[in-house]
Amino acid sequence: MSTERLPLIASLQTRWQLGKKQTEFLVAVVAILPLALFVLYPLWTILRESVLRPDGRWSLDYYARYMQDSHFRETLFNTLNVSIWATLATTAIAFGYAYALRRTKVPGKMLWHSVMLLPLFAPSLIQALGVQFILGRNGIVNRYLGTDIDIYGFWGILLANVLYGLPHAYLVLSVSLGAADARLYEAAKLLGAGGFKRFLSVTLPTARYGVLSAIFLGFAINISEFGNPMVLGGDYNVLATEIYNQVAGQANFHLGAVIGVLLLFPVLLSVAAEKWIGRRQATISSQATPYRPVRNWRIDGPMLLFLGTVALAIVAVVGVVVVASFTKLWPYNLGFTLKHYALDVPGGYGALWVSLKMSLATAVIGMVVATFAAMVVHKLSSRLRQVLYLLSVVPAAVPGMVLGLGYVLAFNNPSLPVYWLYGTVALLSLCTVYHYHAQAFLIATTGLKQVDSRLQEASHTLGGGALHTARHVTLPLIRPAMASIGMFYFMHSMVTISALIFLVSPEVTPAAVSILLLNDAGNWPQAAAFATIIMFTIAAVVLGIKALAHGAALLHKRQNHS
Amino acid sequence: MHFKSVASVVILAAAVIGFFVTQSPQANAGEITVYTSLEEPEIADYLAAARKDMPDLKVNVLRMSTGDLGARILSEASHPRYDVIWGWALTNMMDPRIQALLVPYQPKGLQRMPAQFRDAGGKWFAPTGYMAALCVNTDRLKRKGLPMPTGWSDLLNPAYKGEVVMPNPASSGTGYLQVVSILQGMGGEKGWDFLKHLNVNVAQYAKSGSRPCNMASTGEYAVGASSAIVAMEAVKQGYPVKMVIPKEGAGYELEANALVAASTHKHDAERFLDWTISDSAVKLYGKYKEIVGIAGVRHSADETAVGLPADVKKVLFPMNFKQSMETRSQTLARWQREIEHH
Repeated sequence: MSTERLPLIASLQTRWQLGKKQTEFLVAVVAILPLALFVLYPLWTILRESVLRPDGRWSLDYYARYMQDSHFRETLFNTLNVSIWATLATTAIAFGYAYALRRTKVPGKMLWHSVMLLPLFAPSLIQALGVQFILGRNGIVNRYLGTDIDIYGFWGILLANVLYGLPHAYLVLSVSLGAADARLYEAAKLLGAGGFKRFLSVTLPTARYGVLSAIFLGFAINISEFGNPMVLGGDYNVLATEIYNQVAGQANFHLGAVIGVLLLFPVLLSVAAEKWIGRRQATISSQATPYRPVRNWRIDGPMLLFLGTVALAIVAVVGVVVVASFTKLWPYNLGFTLKHYALDVPGGYGALWVSLKMSLATAVIGMVVATFAAMVVHKLSSRLRQVLYLLSVVPAAVPGMVLGLGYVLAFNNPSLPVYWLYGTVALLSLCTVYHYHAQAFLIATTGLKQVDSRLQEASHTLGGGALHTARHVTLPLIRPAMASIGMFYFMHSMVTISALIFLVSPEVTPAAVSILLLNDAGNWPQAAAFATIIMFTIAAVVLGIKALAHGAALLHKRQNHS
Repeated sequence: MHFKSVASVVILAAAVIGFFVTQSPQANAGEITVYTSLEEPEIADYLAAARKDMPDLKVNVLRMSTGDLGARILSEASHPRYDVIWGWALTNMMDPRIQALLVPYQPKGLQRMPAQFRDAGGKWFAPTGYMAALCVNTDRLKRKGLPMPTGWSDLLNPAYKGEVVMPNPASSGTGYLQVVSILQGMGGEKGWDFLKHLNVNVAQYAKSGSRPCNMASTGEYAVGASSAIVAMEAVKQGYPVKMVIPKEGAGYELEANALVAASTHKHDAERFLDWTISDSAVKLYGKYKEIVGIAGVRHSADETAVGLPADVKKVLFPMNFKQSMETRSQTLARWQREIEHH
C-alpha cells in the first residue's frame, strides 16, 4: 500500500523532474514543518526545563528527585488506575453508541448524534458543576433519595472524564464504523456465522484501527486532563493536577516539566501500536456494496435503550446547570429569574465575537492541516512517516497548561520571524488547532484507512490527473471525516480554555475565559448563564451551516436537472 | 462547477489571510498594559474612576488568577510586554525571579503608607490586601446539628469530621497563607501538631482558594476555608452562609503593585501607580477591600453588614512575608508528607 504513489507526488515528479525519493521527502517536509514549529518547538522550550539546571548545565536531577518521592508513586498509581478504567469505559460506551448509529436501524439517529456531541461544546466547568449538582453531597440524588453518596475522588474523576472523553472517541469510532462492506456480512452469513461471530470476525477487524485510536486518545486525554480532577478529584491526586500544583501553585517549572515528559509515554506506545496495526487494517474494497442495516427489534430495542441511557446522562449533567442558571439561588430558592444573564464582566457578551471568529478560523485551518497530515502519513513510505505520525498525535498527551506556557516561551521572542503572531487571535487559533491535532488527525486517518487505494489508483490509470484524483476520488470519500473534523474543531474551540488562558491578551479575550473569570470570582450562576448562551450560539451556528449546505445541495441538484 | 470551486478557494484564502492580518498592536503612547489578579468587578470600578481622573490614559488590563499569572510572568520574563503589575500576591512577588523584573519606583504620597505595606528597596508597595475567612453554611449546620465555629480550634471538634474543606496550600495562595498563619501563630511544632489534628476533620483540600467557600455555599460541606472577599460575595448573593473570621487571628496576603523594568511607557505607568494610592482610588478600596494600607479608610456599610469587623487590623495575624516566601518549598514538602498523604 505504501509503495504506491500519492497522486500529488506523481504530479510533482513529472512537473519538476524529481526522483521519487526526493518528492516524497519534499512533501513530508511540507507536512512536518508546521508541526515542528507549532508543536515540537513550544514543547521543547518548556520541557527542556526538566533537564536544565539553574546554572545552565544539563542533568537528570529533577527526575531522580521526583521519582524518589513516595508521593510520586501514589500519584502515578492513582493516575494509571483512574485513567485505565475511564479509557475502557469511554471506549466501550463510545463503540456501542457509534455501532448503534452506524450498524443498526434505530430511529432518531440525528438526535442521538447531536446529543453525543454536547460534551464537546459544553464548557468543562458546566460538566463538573453538573456532576456536583446531581451526585454531590448536597446533590439532587442525595437530597431526594436520602442517600449518602460521596463522589469526590476516584469516582468523580472517572465519571467526569468519561463524559468528557466520549465525543472524542465517538467521532473516531463513528468514522471507523461508517463504512462497511455488505458482501462480507453476506459471506459470513452463508458460512453459517451467527450474529456474534459476525461481529467478531467482520465488524471488529474492519474497525480495529478506529478502536485502537480511540483507546489511545482516551488514555492520553485522561492522563493529561486536569480540569475534572481539579473540581471533582478531592484529595485523589493525579499527575495532571500535580503539574498545576508545581507550576501555578509553586512556580516550579522544573518539576512541572518532569511530569509533562512522563505524560508523553502513552504516545510512544501509540506509535508502536500504529506501526504494528498499520498493515493489518481491513479496507473497504472498490467493489464493496454499502452495508444497509435492516430493522431488527431484537437488536434495535436494546440499542435504543442503551442510546437513551447514555444520552440521558449527558443531557442531565448539562441540563441541570442550564436550569440552575435560571433559578434565583440554586439549590435553595428554585424560583425563576433572568438576573444571572446580566453579566458583570467588562465587555459582557462581546467576548462571543472573539470566540466565533477564532473558532471558525480554527475549524478551517484545522480541517486542512489535519487532513493533509493524515494523507501524507497514509501514503508515505520513508522513515519520515513515523516522525510525522509521532508529531501528529503527541499533542493529545500534552496538558493544556504545558502547551500554553510552551507557546508563551516559544513565541514571545522578537528574534523569531513569527513573533508578530504573539498576542493575536491567530495564535489562539493555531494553538487550538495543534492542541487537538491528534483527534482530528486520527479521525482523518481512520477515514483514509477504510478507503481502498485501488479506487485512487484506478482514477490515476484512467488518466485522471493527480489533483483530479484527489478532488474527485479521495476527497469525496473522506468528506464525511473532514466534516466531522471541522465540526469537532469549531465546537471545541468555542469552549476550550486550558491552553488559551496563558495566551490571552487584554485586547483578545474569548468567551470561555470570561466564564472562568466569573467562576473565579465566586459567581458561578453568571458563569453558567454565559455558558448556556455559548452552547446555544454553537448550536445555532452549526444548524445554520447545515441548513445552508442543505440549501446549496438542493440548488445544485435543481440546476443540474434544468 | 470549476468556477465555483475556484471562487470558494479564493474566499476561504481571503478569510484566513484577513483573519491573520487583524493584528493586536502593542500599547501605544498614552496607553499601558497592566497584569493583575484583582477581582473582575472591582477592576471595572477602579478603571472607571481612573479614566475620569486621567482621561488621556488608556489602561489595558489582563486578569488572571494569582498562580496562573505567576506562570505567565515567568514564561514571558525574557521579553515582558506589559508595564505594571497591579494587585498581585506579595508572597509571589517576593520570588527573586520576579524581583529581577521590577524596577524601584516611589509613587507620590507613599509616605502615607505604613512601612509594613511597602518595600524598603522601593520595588513594591501594597495599598490593599485580603484575609482568610471561613464560610459556614448555616443550613447544613442545622441539618447536621453542628455548633457555629468561631475559629480554627473549634474545628478540631470531632462533630465536624468530614464537613471541613480547606484549599490545598500546594496549589493555592489562599491555602498557603492559612497554613502559614497557623504555623507562625502557634509556633513551629505546635502548629504542625494542630494541622495534623485538624486534618482528621478535613474532608478534602480543594485546588483553588475560592472553591471551599463555593462548596460551602451550595451546601456540599458545612465549613469552607477561603478568603473574606469570596465569603462576602456568597453572603451577598443570598446563600445561607455566615462569614467567620477565625478568632485566633486571620492570615492575610497583601496585594502589591510594581513597575516593570522593561516597560516602554514608564511615564504613563508611573502616573497609573501614583493613581493607585490617590484619594479617589483609596475611597473605592473601602468598598471592596478588607485591608487597606492607607490610614483613614472606612469600610462600606455593605461590608460591615455581612460580618466584617469595623477595625480589621485588630483581627489580622501579624504575618512575616519574607519568612513565608523563603520557607515555602520546605513547608509545602513537609505538609504534603505529613498531612496530605496521611
